[in-house]
Amino acid sequence: MTDNGFNRVPDVLVVGAGASGAVAARRLASDGFDVVCLEQGAWPDYSRARAPYPDFELTAGRDWSWDPNARQAPADYPVDDSQSDITALMWNGVGGGTVVYAAHWQRNLPSDFRVRTLDGVADDWPFTYEDLEPYYVRVEKDWGVSGLAGDTAFPKSQGPPLPPPPLGAMGRRVAKAHNQLGWHWWPGPNAIATRAYGRLNPCTQRATCLWGCVEGAKASVDRTYWPVAIDRGVKLVTGARVKRLLLGPDGLVTGALYVDRDGREHQQRAAVTIVCCNGIGTPRLLLLSADDRHPDGLANSSGLVGKRLMMHPFGTVVGLFDEDLESTHGVWGQHIHSLEFYETDASRGFLRGAKWGLQPTGGPLSMTRAYPWGAENPIWGSNFHRDLRKRLGRSAMWGIIAEDLPEEENRVALDPIKTDSDGLPAARIQYRMSENSRRLMAFHQERAKESLDAAGAYETVIAPFIRATGWHLLGTALMGADPARSVVNPEGRTHDVPNLYVFDGSVWPTSAGMNPTATIAAVALRFTEQLIALRREQRVSA
Amino acid sequence: MSKVFGDWERATLARLADLLIPAGDGMPSANQAGVAGPGLDEVLRLRPDFESPLRALLARFAESDAQLTVVSLQASDPDAFFLLTEVVAGGYFLNPQVREAIGYDGQRPVPIVPEDPPDYEQNGLLASVIERGPIYRPTPGTP
Repeated sequence: MTDNGFNRVPDVLVVGAGASGAVAARRLASDGFDVVCLEQGAWPDYSRARAPYPDFELTAGRDWSWDPNARQAPADYPVDDSQSDITALMWNGVGGGTVVYAAHWQRNLPSDFRVRTLDGVADDWPFTYEDLEPYYVRVEKDWGVSGLAGDTAFPKSQGPPLPPPPLGAMGRRVAKAHNQLGWHWWPGPNAIATRAYGRLNPCTQRATCLWGCVEGAKASVDRTYWPVAIDRGVKLVTGARVKRLLLGPDGLVTGALYVDRDGREHQQRAAVTIVCCNGIGTPRLLLLSADDRHPDGLANSSGLVGKRLMMHPFGTVVGLFDEDLESTHGVWGQHIHSLEFYETDASRGFLRGAKWGLQPTGGPLSMTRAYPWGAENPIWGSNFHRDLRKRLGRSAMWGIIAEDLPEEENRVALDPIKTDSDGLPAARIQYRMSENSRRLMAFHQERAKESLDAAGAYETVIAPFIRATGWHLLGTALMGADPARSVVNPEGRTHDVPNLYVFDGSVWPTSAGMNPTATIAAVALRFTEQLIALRREQRVSA
Repeated sequence: MSKVFGDWERATLARLADLLIPAGDGMPSANQAGVAGPGLDEVLRLRPDFESPLRALLARFAESDAQLTVVSLQASDPDAFFLLTEVVAGGYFLNPQVREAIGYDGQRPVPIVPEDPPDYEQNGLLASVIERGPIYRPTPGTP
């Protein structure tokens, strides 16, 4: 075993090189902190991005699968989802989920931070939209977000640095329909560069954003943050799977024990440790770090580590049109979004809401698949060529991100049987969609259908529910002021271990109905600056 | 042609494939487009992970009635049906003549032209949204 802290102890160890880890590392380095990041995966290999080739649709799932159980890459750990309505999706590597996300850049709304106060359920966040707004503005500049200021669904704020992508024929058509209906829409905010910006190239609308952006236009943190952080002195160690966090006799974290891809163990010491491993990986690591003093896992005196998993049930509604909408192309990404039905209206029979994003539908192979078209609408057989022409380029779809409320029964635990390639217990998730979520989704699907009908769709399809939609992993290390009822405090510091922090989406008290990266990034920046501001009071292991 | 799959396996695939994508509307059938021949070789080169499950699938249905096979497979084994359709349609759409006939030239670049006026500004498209005003619920206690 090597000890990387033998000669010097870095100020901060970040575990995980996804969105929150990148924000923290870059900001800390900018203030002169000595930072090490351990990342179990590798840098994404964009030479395997196949957008320019005829085989793109056929091979996209080979190298860019979102499901670690299907991908089974060396950096992946199994996730037993047999007791879950939704499959957990993630990317284990530099960039984390931003490598494969759709880059919908959605701030949360003010009501998302006050769910208990406004709707009488779940919990309020310990800070408000107004508290977070300055951090949104800053990360949007660092990220290279495109969009348009003035969205009436949000409080007034500075807009993102880049203009939005074109609405395109489908966006214009649906926007006009919403105007007739009196429904909200706005040009879609995306973490996709519409002009050259920093290290990003302009988007070329290939609609391949989720399967390796070949242009270097999508703002994933392997492109936007990590090169800057490394330039500023951060040491990023790839292929470093953390087995457990290490504790000193004083109960403070001294760093982490990790194993490299050659099977060698190392200790990485640090004065402060920040866990940024997503809503599955973070509780898994805290549970893996159990010892005699913490038999139920580290930072788990509340018993809440791993509980309250939220994953955003996802719905899709597709419309078929008698016009070429050029919907094989565009940003994917969202061309427009709608928050018309986002806020709670209890008369609908459920609480909370969902955000809609209008997306392209892809190339010809995508026109043949059961999702989103439905097994009851098979294209196969005598009508194949007719139906292909109906769908290809002439369809548009709403993607619906539904807020799911926290429930302690929905949780992450260590798998008692399965292990990863290093012998560490796999994650096991248990998740059931609530009645509220089911009602919410059914309502939104019907309204989305009305939207496309109003836009002139001669046929609409509510896509079948599929499990493989758990892109957003939230809530499993709850943030709050009460140590008996939360895992981390309002600054992201664990109540139990004063030099151990969690900065990722695990800390979210409620899930909102938005794609979460914007808020994950803004919260991580806020947490990081609070840590910096309080550095003279920070306790570290002797 | 690759020897990975033998004649009987290709014949089985061809029967199934032509039920999924028959000729019509001026378009070739899957088999006419080479799905069970060079198309299969190309698909397996690109997706070697398909080879083993496809071989098992074809073995299951070598002697079966193709029509019954396809109909029953979709309901009884969606994963196997997905594999079959990915191989068939995936190979079909790799054929350059097919791509040309359906007017699809891939996920080609469509650059955003900075000089183009924004289409969200055309014909006052956003005016009614703006005129309606804010639709969010403010943080309690804020103006």
